[in-house]
Amino acid sequence: MSSARTQFRALFVRELQTVVRTRVYLLVALGVWALVVALVATGGGGESGYLPAVVDLLLPLELLVPAVAIAVGYRSVVADLERGELAVLESYDVPAWVYVAAIYAGRAIALSAILVGGLLITAVLIAVSASPDTGIYATHTGVDSPVLFGRFIALTVLYGLTMLGLVVLVSVVARSTRTALALAAGGVVLVVAGGDALVILGLTEEWLSAESLFGSLATVPNSAYRGLVFETVVGVASGVETGYAAARWSALGLVGWLVGSLMLAVGLLGRRQR
Amino acid sequence: MTETASPSESHQPTETTPAGDSRLTATSITHRYGELSVLEAIDLEITPGAVTAVIGPNGTGKTTLLRILLGQLTPTEGTVEYTGPAADRPIGYLPQQPSFRPQFTAAETLAFYGALLGLSVDTHTALERVGLADAADRPVEALSGGMRRLLGIAQSLVGEPPVVVFDEPASGLDPSMSTRAFEILADQAAEGTAIVVSSHDLGLVERFADRVLVVHDGTIAGRGSPRELMAETETASLWDVYDAVVHGHRGDT
Repeated sequence: MSSARTQFRALFVRELQTVVRTRVYLLVALGVWALVVALVATGGGGESGYLPAVVDLLLPLELLVPAVAIAVGYRSVVADLERGELAVLESYDVPAWVYVAAIYAGRAIALSAILVGGLLITAVLIAVSASPDTGIYATHTGVDSPVLFGRFIALTVLYGLTMLGLVVLVSVVARSTRTALALAAGGVVLVVAGGDALVILGLTEEWLSAESLFGSLATVPNSAYRGLVFETVVGVASGVETGYAAARWSALGLVGWLVGSLMLAVGLLGRRQR
Repeated sequence: MTETASPSESHQPTETTPAGDSRLTATSITHRYGELSVLEAIDLEITPGAVTAVIGPNGTGKTTLLRILLGQLTPTEGTVEYTGPAADRPIGYLPQQPSFRPQFTAAETLAFYGALLGLSVDTHTALERVGLADAADRPVEALSGGMRRLLGIAQSLVGEPPVVVFDEPASGLDPSMSTRAFEILADQAAEGTAIVVSSHDLGLVERFADRVLVVHDGTIAGRGSPRELMAETETASLWDVYDAVVHGHRGDT
């Protein structure tokens, strides 16, 4: 019998090849890169340094990253379902967790390449165009640094991977690519905008206490991402604690959404045809 | 996708028979969707070296029966047991309208399915078997519907499964493609594979099937070789058998 590792490798390689051979993903990448560069250029932050650029990018990326995750992932599972390939894969005794893991891993690499590519281009542009000198590597607080921008890239990728997990879950739930697109868009808007709104509502209606604010924000993916950026990138350079979010809980929140989404996807896929 | 097998199904190999004597045995299969009963107490055996055809009107539970035999659907009651030697892939499957990722060539598609089993597939031979050797390097998106069906048949045979289930392999194909599809099935059966095929093409079933199961109203209303069924219903063709069993028009042609 073939091992889970063998099956994972075959599925993962197929997923990567699919992404590489699909021109629309290249167009998405080019569009995202151009947009990120344009945001920094028009925001003016790029001329001042890495941290001003982070501030320029943070809010747009809260929306752009989920959109890219949808573009990369909404067809991932449902397209195999529509083609009948899921039923065929069952005859190869592929466990649901191997399939979901391989699909996710392949798409995650594509998404990461798109996000990292755009932000690295931006970093290079900042390095050659910004003043004062941005070539300083911060060893203490209060100094702008490419290291902090690197941290921002890592957090953005983590946020993207979390949103991709949600999109893959939606792709498992959906019965057609059209439904998957609608569900993914609706689901992400619900989580991103609805989560923040719910926290605000909870505070005003007083079923959330002020003490539980950080914990509540950590459970909303984009709030967690925003909080992490403020706490570990912007706050570091400003030299004072922002008091905006609980970094550890925010990181756990993102990882929790990611792991939870994928586990649910595995469970639903395993039960779907029984 | 698979999860823990239901106690009512077993597709794990049971080595009580020699190689080449693989079979599927379904016992008292009943399946309901809510209140709607689709299959009622069906017993059948899929034997090696033979083409077993499942025929019947639309909506009588043929695809449900095939999915239960494949282990993709757990019957409400009853068991399905695979008996035979250990195999990387005990049961191969061709869905009704097979399709594959359009970005890959025919050869790459077969190589991928082989890789799932840890096998290096001889794609040329596998495609040659279904008459697609010349299209090996053609992307799936550039294959006609019939060629995709043939590629699906080639896929269903990857790993040399001892039992293969074909769901409407000739549906939508021109006569020569349909015949070609059934010839491949018959060739495979001649090599010892147990073949199950559902089809509405009764001419091809009559010509190529060794055994026929007529599914009607959730039960097997007739079973036997085409010749036996014709004798039993005093008819001259499988179409007349179908008419007699499904519509009750016996021996009037």
